[in-house]
Order: sequence, then structure tokens, then C-alpha cells
Amino acid sequence: MFYCVQKMNIFSSNISNNGNNFQVNSSSGAAGGIGTIKKTPNSNNIQPQVKKLVIKNLKDTSKASENYQVESWSHLSNAIDSIYKKQPIKQTLEELYRMVDNLCSTEKYATTLTYVVSKHTKSIWDIGLHYFKTFLLSSTNLDKKLRIGILINIEKERNGETIDKDLLHHLIQMLLSLQIYESFEKELLSETSMFYYKESNHLINEYETPEYLKHVNNRIAEENTRSLRYIDPSTKRAIIQVVEKQMLEQHLDRLLQKGFNQMVEMDKIEDLELLYSLFTRVNGLSKLKSAWGQYIKTAGASMLADTEKDSSMIEDLIIFKDRMDHILNISFSKNDQLNYSFKESFEHFINTRQNKPAELIAKFIDSKLRSGSKGISDDELEMVLNKALALFRFIQGKDVFEAFYKTDLSKRLLMDKSMSIDVEKSVVLKLRNECGTVFTAKLEGMFNDIELSNEIMASFKECMAYTEHIKNIEMNVFVLASSNWPQYTPLNANLPTQFLEYQEMYRKFYSSKYPNRKLIWQNSLGQCVLKCFFQNGKKDTISSLLQTVVLLLFNNLNQDEEITLGKIQELSGIELEELKRHMMPLINSNTRILSRRSKNKSKILEIDDLFSFNKDFTHKLTRLKVNALQAKETVEENKKTNEAIIHDRQYQIDAAIVRIMKARKTLTHNLLMSELFQQLRFTPKPVDLKKRIESLIEREYLGRDQNNPMSYHYLA
Amino acid sequence: MKVTIRKWQTVSSWHWDVSEECCGICRMQFDACCVDCKMPGDDCPPVWGACKHAFHMHCILKWLNSNQQQCPMCRSNWEFVTTD
Ligand SMILES: [Zn+2]
Ligand SMILES: [Zn+2]
Ligand SMILES: [Zn+2]
Repeated sequence: MFYCVQKMNIFSSNISNNGNNFQVNSSSGAAGGIGTIKKTPNSNNIQPQVKKLVIKNLKDTSKASENYQVESWSHLSNAIDSIYKKQPIKQTLEELYRMVDNLCSTEKYATTLTYVVSKHTKSIWDIGLHYFKTFLLSSTNLDKKLRIGILINIEKERNGETIDKDLLHHLIQMLLSLQIYESFEKELLSETSMFYYKESNHLINEYETPEYLKHVNNRIAEENTRSLRYIDPSTKRAIIQVVEKQMLEQHLDRLLQKGFNQMVEMDKIEDLELLYSLFTRVNGLSKLKSAWGQYIKTAGASMLADTEKDSSMIEDLIIFKDRMDHILNISFSKNDQLNYSFKESFEHFINTRQNKPAELIAKFIDSKLRSGSKGISDDELEMVLNKALALFRFIQGKDVFEAFYKTDLSKRLLMDKSMSIDVEKSVVLKLRNECGTVFTAKLEGMFNDIELSNEIMASFKECMAYTEHIKNIEMNVFVLASSNWPQYTPLNANLPTQFLEYQEMYRKFYSSKYPNRKLIWQNSLGQCVLKCFFQNGKKDTISSLLQTVVLLLFNNLNQDEEITLGKIQELSGIELEELKRHMMPLINSNTRILSRRSKNKSKILEIDDLFSFNKDFTHKLTRLKVNALQAKETVEENKKTNEAIIHDRQYQIDAAIVRIMKARKTLTHNLLMSELFQQLRFTPKPVDLKKRIESLIEREYLGRDQNNPMSYHYLA
Repeated sequence: MKVTIRKWQTVSSWHWDVSEECCGICRMQFDACCVDCKMPGDDCPPVWGACKHAFHMHCILKWLNSNQQQCPMCRSNWEFVTTD
């Protein structure tokens, strides 16, 4: 009995799941017939009866005979049929109940009985649905009309009309309950696809990209709400995929081509953010990546190509990079792939102009580190230096940067032009972190030389030679380890004997400390503070050593006595072009220490121009600088730096070839080339490498293999 | 007197007093240092052999330590010569 009731409970719960309007009254069901269904309200009114509960020992029910079982079964079966057909039952319910009770004690019938019951007992709900469905499908076109009606309404809503959403919700729920939703869903998706196919093909021409993207975004949101409001949520994904496919996937190229560059150009951060988020929905990242990379390459290359803007190139590039960084970080959520493409593209375009960007970055940093540069706070300076170095990171020819940086640094250090040694050192530290110790070894060596020179000078000033002989003049000497510094060409000049004596004293002192070394004086880098006496007063004048040599000549002349340029050249021993260069500031209208008299009005100095000391000179300042040219880069100097780079590269190639061949003894041409490409810290041209190999063969460092001319041997 | 000098700041570069530019072993300039050193100076000086050939001290020591007792340039027996 227990078993049977349990089964019935399962059955009853089936019913209540299908429709809440009905409920099995199981207490009466068990007694008065299986599956009797009553309206709920009445059952609650039955008064509970007082019953006596008697507990007896469980009796082992006698096993009913085979015959009884068969008979009972047949009775029950008929009775159930009758109950469903609402016909009278032959037995009393009491009898039937007994039969069930007895049969349930045997396992075999318990199962069968349940089966029989459930076979008959589709719920009223299900039966109702069954008939409704049969009716719906059999009546001509009714279900088709229904489905078309729903689709038309959805389309109306998509077109902005108001529709009865509750009605649609009920209708779609009905399709679901009738289990004919699936075929409807297919139609819905294909209609949706068609709708958005048409719309996108129309709008892609009409709208600009940002406007179009916003529209797509709205459409996706709409479809999302629609699915939740009255279409089945299970269809949401599929519908949105259809929208994405028709509105986006089909038009990715077009969207980028139509508006991407303008969006980046105009820093449309939000529009780009939307573009990114929509593109990632449909696997459009690789297309976005190539458009992004292409934009950076093209925009960057055109900035570089404009040679007239070289002076502001670095500033422009910093601004450009800041903008692209901003887009990458905000609009593109720092996406790895786009970040990679950003770096790659930057590196690509910045190296489209050989050597120049590296040179300009060095100059830019120089302009920031020079004393007298625009007053900015330490933090601002730090930031701008970091930004310049971030550009430097993309440069392939780091040696070019180093060469120009070195030239500029040397001037800052030797001409007292540096704003702060601490800042200088911090920049070198940054470079070291970026490029390694080998890269900055020479720059660090320069600071070393300056410090060492100061130490030597301090002890020289204490020695007898200095205290007894060098009076009235403050002397300072920098001694450089030549390999740390740019290559300087010694300039001839007939120095005043006083200077020659001092040099000799210093040389002796230096040799006593450092035997086996010789000193070469670099006149082009010398500078003096002079006192010039004019009728209206004296002026302190900071001049180059060569200017000093020229000015001192006038001490030996009478007041107002004139001297030709030719004579000045002869007496000073300075090469003519160099002399002219140094004399120009002395006749400049603002610092006219010398008066010039010339037959022609040309600005270019002539050999027979006449010069005299301008005793009437006046100036509101007491301290004048006429040696600015020493700190400026001349065309020749720039050329020299570039030549030094080429020379240094050859030297490095030679050293690398010898190093590799010494280790490997024999290598084929191709293997040697690939090793060289790996080892050299610039990107060499294969032609240049070949030339260096030839040269080393000529110099008998290497030999060709006798059988294979494309293979080399190291010759010890 | 029209012009007098108050201060003179001048620059010179020091060079090893060697006739060749480069060390025959490492091919680096004497004024630079050998491949193992970083700073040119007294830590990496040139040394001379009896044959008048000069090398970085570090370079020739390495060479001699690898059991070669001849000058790498002229193959004569190596003998250190002190200058001065
Ligand atoms: Zn060496
Ligand atoms: Zn060394
Ligand atoms: Zn020798």
C-alpha cells in the first residue's frame, strides 16, 4: 500500500506542475478511486473527523493465488477505463481498493499498475493543449497567420511603432507551451537577419562610422530587452548574433575604411571605445589591429617626412605618442595585441628616416638639460625626459643617439652649460636601465673625467709651480680620456707665452702623476673670462680661447690703430675660416668690441678688412658672453659626428667579425652574417658587412676556403 | 692695456704614449681599454715588450697565460720592458 501511494504522489505532483488550477485530493483519491480530481475550494471545507488509531502488528498478507491476481488485474483495468470514460463501475470502490492493496504487496504488479495509471493519465492541461494544438494546426492557415502576425508586430516595433507587448508575450508563451516554438524561432531569426541585412546596407552608406556604431549598439540593446520582455530568453543569444553578423561582421572593412582614421585623428575616445567593444564582439580585432597599426605608421611617417619641421619633430612626436597612448589605454582597454601593434608601428615609422630622429631626440634632451632653458619644475622636467626616452626606445640606431648625446653632453660639461649635474646623471642612469651598462660606459666615463680633472686641479693649485707662477689668472684644466669623448681635431693658435708656460707647468705636474701619458691641448674648447677696458668703463667678457688670442693682439697696438684680417690671421696662427667664425660675434652690433672697416658692405669678412679696438663700446650689462658659438653645433660638427658614427660602426663590425671567427674558426658566409646581425647593436646593411669581410681578408685576419669561396677561416 | 685675462679654462686629452693606435691582440685602441675593462686609465695600461711591441697589459697576460711565450706580433720571445 505504501508503495502505491508513493507512486500516486508522483503522479499528483505531475498534475500540479502542469496547471495550478487543479490539484489532486489525494486523501479521497486513495480511498475513492485513483486520480479523482476535485476542485480545490470544496476540499478545504471538509471537517476533520475524530478517528481512533489502532496499531497492529504487520501481517504477512497471504500470497494471493495466480488466478486472483489475473482476475483482480482485469477488474482494476476495466475500472480505470470506466472512471476515465465516466461510466459506472461494476465493483465498489472498497473492493477495488482492496485489490490494489493486495496486488501492491507483490512487486510485479506494483510497477505495472503505475504504468497503467500513467498511460491513462495525461493531465487535463496536457489534453487541453493537445486539442488546442490539433485545432490550431488543422484549421487553414491559422497558425501561419498567427506566426506572421507576431513577426509583423516585432518588425513594427523594430521600426519604432508601439505594439501590445503583453499580447506578444502571451502568444509566444503559447507557442512554447504547444511546442511549436522551435519552427517559429527559425522564422524569427531569418526575418531578423533579413531586417538587419537591409538596414545595415542602407545605413552603412548613410551614416558616418561613429553614428552607425551607436546605432548598432542601440540595436543590440533593444534586441536584448526584447528577448527578455516577450521573446523567449533562450533565443536572445541567437538574435544578437544575427544582429552582430548582419550589422557588423559584414561591414568591418567598410567601417574602418570609412571612419577609423578620422576618429583617431580627432581623438574620439568614446567612439573608439565603442568601436573596440563592438569589434571584439565579432572577432574584428585583427582588422582593427591592422587599421590601427597602419594609421600610426602613415601619420608618423608623414610627420617625419616633413623636414621643415625637424626643429619641432620630437615635441610633435611626444604629443602624438601621448595621444595614441591615451586611445590605447582608454578606448582600447590596453589590449595586448593593439599595444603590440602600436609599438611595432612606432618602431617602424620612426626608423623610416635614418639617423635623424635619434639625433633630434639627443638634441631635444640637450635643450632641456642646458642651463638657461625655459624654467620648468623638476617634475615637469622628469616627465618630459621620460617621454623623450620613451621615443628613444623605438630607435634602432641607438649608437647614433649616443654619438649626438655625447657631443651635446661634452659641451654642457666643458662649457659650464649644464643645468644640474644631478639631473645629468639621472638621465644617464635612465639610459643605462634602458640600454645596459655597455651603452652608457662612455657617458659615465665623461662624468668621471670631469670629477678626476677637478681633483687633479685642486692638487695642482697647491703645488709650488702654481702658487709661485700663476698669478692674477684663475686656471682650470679638464683632462679627458679621449675615447670617452667625441673626437676633437686640435686647432692651431699662437697662444700667449704666458699660456704656454702654464700649459707646460701643468703638463709636468700631470706627468709626475701619470707617466707614459701625453697631453694634447684642445684649443677649440678653451674659454676665458676677460676684462676689457672701454672709455665708459670695463666689462667682463666670456670669450672663446681663439677670441682671446685675437683680442690680446690689440694690446700691442696704439689707440684706434687698425689691423687687417690678414694680419690678424698671421699673428694668431688660426686657420682663416675658423678665425672668421670666432670674430663675427666681436663685431656683432650688440657686442661690438671691435670696429670693422670694409670696402664692401658684405657681411662676409674679407682678408683686407680693417679692425680696431672699439674704445667707445657701451653696454648696459657688465658681463658679456661672446662665445655662444662654442656651445652651438656647426654644420661641420654635425658632419663629423655622422662620420664618427660610420667609422665607429665599421670598427664594431670588424671587432665582431674577428670575435666570432676567433671562436668558430670556420664559418660559411651566411652563418657569419646571421651571427653578426645578432651581435651588432645597430642594423647593418649586408653590403657594408661584406665590405668589412673583404677588408679583413685583405688584412689577412680571414681567409677564404679554397674549395668553397663562401666559407671563411680565421687566420691566427 | 685694453684687455686682461681673469680666468682661463682649457681642455686637453690624455693619450698613452704608444706608437700604434690599437692593441694587436684585442684590436681596441690603447686610448680605450681592453675588452674586459670599462674605464680607460691606469687600471688598464699598455705594456711594452723587448721587441718594442705594445699591448694592453690584460691582453698580453692572457696571451702568456695560454702558454704562448712569444710576442703575438713578431713571434720573438716575450720580455716585459719597463719604461722610463
Ligand atoms: Zn688589448
Ligand atoms: Zn683591461
Ligand atoms: Zn713583438
